[in-house]
Amino acid sequence: MNRIETNNALGAPAVALTLFALAGLLAWHQLAPDFSRLFQQEAGYDPQRLLLLYSTLPRIATALLAGAALSLSGSLLQQVLRNPLASPSTLGISAGANLALVAVMLAFPALQGLSRDAVALFGSAAAAAVVFLIGARRGFSPLALVLAGLIVGVWSGALAAILVLMNDRYLSGLFIWGAGSLAQQSWTIPLSLLPKIAMLSVAALLMARPLSLMELGDSGASGLGLSVRRTRIAAVCVAIALAAIVTSAVGVIGFIGLIAPRVAQLAGARHMKSQLVWSPLIGAGLLLLTDEALVLLSGASSTFLPTGAITALLGAPLLLLMLPRLKAVQRSAPAPSPNAIRAPRSTRSLLFASIPMLVLLLAAASFFGRAPDGTWSLLAYLQWSDVLPYRLPRIAGAFTAGAMLGVVGAILQRLSGNEMASPEVLGISAGATLGVTAALFLLPAPGMAAQLGFGGLGAFAVLIAIFLFGIRSGFAPERVLLTGIALGAMLDAFISVLAASGDPRAMIVMQWMSGSTYLVDTSKAVSSTVAAAIGLALAFLAYRWLDLLPLGPQAAQAIGIRVNYARGCLFALAAAMTTAATLVVGPLSFIGLMGPHLARELGLRRAAPQLAGAALAGGSLMVLADWFGRMIAFPYQMPAGLVSALVGAPLLLVLLMKRRRTA
Amino acid sequence: MSSERGLENLTLSRRTLLAAAALLAVPRVGMAAETISGPIVSLDYGLASTLLALGVTPAAIASLADWNTWVVEPKMPAGVIDLGTTSEINLEVLASVKPALILTTPYLAPLKPQLEAISPVMELTIYAEGGEALQRSIAATRLLADAIGRRPQAEDFLARSERFFDDCASRIKKLDPPPLALINFVDTRHARIYCGAGLYQNVMTRIGLKNAWTGTGDYWGFETIGLEQLATLDQNLRLIAFEPLLPPNVLDTLQDSPLWTSLPFVRAGRVSVLPGTLMFGMVQEAERFARTLLDHLEKFA
Repeated sequence: MNRIETNNALGAPAVALTLFALAGLLAWHQLAPDFSRLFQQEAGYDPQRLLLLYSTLPRIATALLAGAALSLSGSLLQQVLRNPLASPSTLGISAGANLALVAVMLAFPALQGLSRDAVALFGSAAAAAVVFLIGARRGFSPLALVLAGLIVGVWSGALAAILVLMNDRYLSGLFIWGAGSLAQQSWTIPLSLLPKIAMLSVAALLMARPLSLMELGDSGASGLGLSVRRTRIAAVCVAIALAAIVTSAVGVIGFIGLIAPRVAQLAGARHMKSQLVWSPLIGAGLLLLTDEALVLLSGASSTFLPTGAITALLGAPLLLLMLPRLKAVQRSAPAPSPNAIRAPRSTRSLLFASIPMLVLLLAAASFFGRAPDGTWSLLAYLQWSDVLPYRLPRIAGAFTAGAMLGVVGAILQRLSGNEMASPEVLGISAGATLGVTAALFLLPAPGMAAQLGFGGLGAFAVLIAIFLFGIRSGFAPERVLLTGIALGAMLDAFISVLAASGDPRAMIVMQWMSGSTYLVDTSKAVSSTVAAAIGLALAFLAYRWLDLLPLGPQAAQAIGIRVNYARGCLFALAAAMTTAATLVVGPLSFIGLMGPHLARELGLRRAAPQLAGAALAGGSLMVLADWFGRMIAFPYQMPAGLVSALVGAPLLLVLLMKRRRTA
Repeated sequence: MSSERGLENLTLSRRTLLAAAALLAVPRVGMAAETISGPIVSLDYGLASTLLALGVTPAAIASLADWNTWVVEPKMPAGVIDLGTTSEINLEVLASVKPALILTTPYLAPLKPQLEAISPVMELTIYAEGGEALQRSIAATRLLADAIGRRPQAEDFLARSERFFDDCASRIKKLDPPPLALINFVDTRHARIYCGAGLYQNVMTRIGLKNAWTGTGDYWGFETIGLEQLATLDQNLRLIAFEPLLPPNVLDTLQDSPLWTSLPFVRAGRVSVLPGTLMFGMVQEAERFARTLLDHLEKFA
């Protein structure tokens, strides 16, 4: 924001008025024919009046309230974090609330009222805590924070969807709610939202003065006797509460909280006070306009379109457009903590020691398990030919895909210096998933080959997109990752729309997304092994780049590395390996995130040993997850991706917290 | 008398069968009908219940654990092996059953190569673009019967079901019931409403019931709606909500909704809850649907 800060007094009101006028026009189109009936109660049944009074009007009120609350939340977050991309959607706050609600509602479907709000609050606070925890370690750099937030958001969304999938065979109420439908049949929701949002808005307005003082910068504000820290925490709490309450009432409404504050700012509302007034008004108008347009559209096509998922579909590309506005902050790797410098325990012997362990693990996974009648047993020699043809490809596929994901994670984390970077956030998996979805809906009965072909095409398309965006930014790593994750968020929204429609084919997409080794047969296992061998070899050849690039572009250039070329090559390698792994085990697992961290925990810090360690850890974790998935609920199988995500997420948090204390 | 009428219907439906069979991708069953002897496995609920109707107990089925929630009737005999979820059939268990024939649907198309490595596979198409579920179920029943050498049993079963539907039709003529709206609640604000080419609508057409919802739906035979959309329907309707109710207290919650409580059919108490019937089933499920529905409607006669 190096432009002169002019507070155009008329711009924001004009935008808000225009939005309201447009939305009002659409709403009037819907209301007008029956509006007169509102005031004259007829004797008989008057469905139009009924709909107007208890469906249309409350829906309008809900859209206004939800839009205002989310935008206010976004404004607060953007102001406090000095981050133009902060919002309940981009920081994972709404998705966190959603995940918590889904998890609890699967056990208690009738959850209502305050307890429901409490669960949502817990979820969004937890998600925000994770994001801030990671962000704090990167000095709240805007890109790093949004990257962490989007990752948490996409993970929460996917996990919530899979949890529902595992529990609900034919019914999808939680999907609809999770996708943010604004349909109403009474005033209950808007009336319960109103006092909560009003209270929080008053709190926000009371903070307007201290917050605008903070525009002077932290030192300036402290000089004026302001507890910067306390003000920040209070403002963030209000923002989280606003998002949680809206999510609890109507589900996830994507990206309104990102767009409205931005629009307000572009229209001239730059100072805190005018932001806090105009951003909610613009958000209210924007959501109402979207919703009214959807009502018109879905009335015409008779398909069910949940508003929240649609705003996310529209909002994610806007995020892509806004990316270049962010100041590029090239960061070098954080200063190594004391125990990093500590003489590396002979990493070589560590890696060698792990080989017998690995053999043991693979053998156990192959031969120990549950017999068809459910009893635990070692596989007798006579049964080898019956059982191993099913088990071995899965184990091989799991191991090689896991190894590839681990290596890709290590490459991306070293490239970006961001410890939340993982293959999923490249957007490649999202592209592959979209491809598979297209196959399911375009072909009458797509076999495996067709699905793989379409998946490969989707991944390739995203790869091209990454390169087109990447060339412009010189492959600035965090930018590439943000592009990918924005694509991922769009996919998430698309899947939400699909799942809410209840079409059983959505279940196949979800199954694919849940990261299963289930469809790995011998030929897939062999190709995965070959891909892993080639990919790993290339990654090891590039170890010098990976050692030097984290020192920062200037330093690397000084040593004689063509930074953009090296980055381009590494991204290409990462993308190719991600495509291969995704086609084998699907897009979702925590492996690419966890593998490199585990390797580093074991003291493997230089590129080559970390790559080896990440490959071993990733492969082993995937084999373990696959084994648990097959055994826990035998004969029912849980997808390995889900198991590893459920186990891996907490593990990863523990690792991050631990390192924070030592750092 | 009734047998004559049944025969008439039989010839008629044979003709429809021929048409349907021409449309269906006729499955390749790599053996003569009589040679199938040994365990038969079904990966689809509808095909499993059709097997039971033909007097064959499947050796194993997918998602046995949920049978009593979604299919309920006929009861699955004890001793049937559970193959795990439809989305991830446990292949190790499946192979250990050493099936002589695996029955599946296009829904599981990606799995076909793996299944074919285990035993012959018969893929029967019920729910797909451009078909009516009930007619396709009848055709598929005959194809299945041919494959396992039980054609006479199939003709018996189908003739009985035609007679049953005829009987239902005449019962309905006497009842003159209101139009029906058939839904599953998905939450307190939304429902699935059944229509179009699905099994429920096909049965209603067959036995002469009027659907209050005239939307076309997809080939699974339903649409997702906001409950407020019920307000514009012909309010003489009776609303039939099928179990499971989600959330379980949805009807209590709706008592607080002014829109819901002012709907004339709600005021008049024309809201019924019926036990679940598999909406994506075949002829057995069609019969169960018609039976529970009619037994219920006759209570108000």
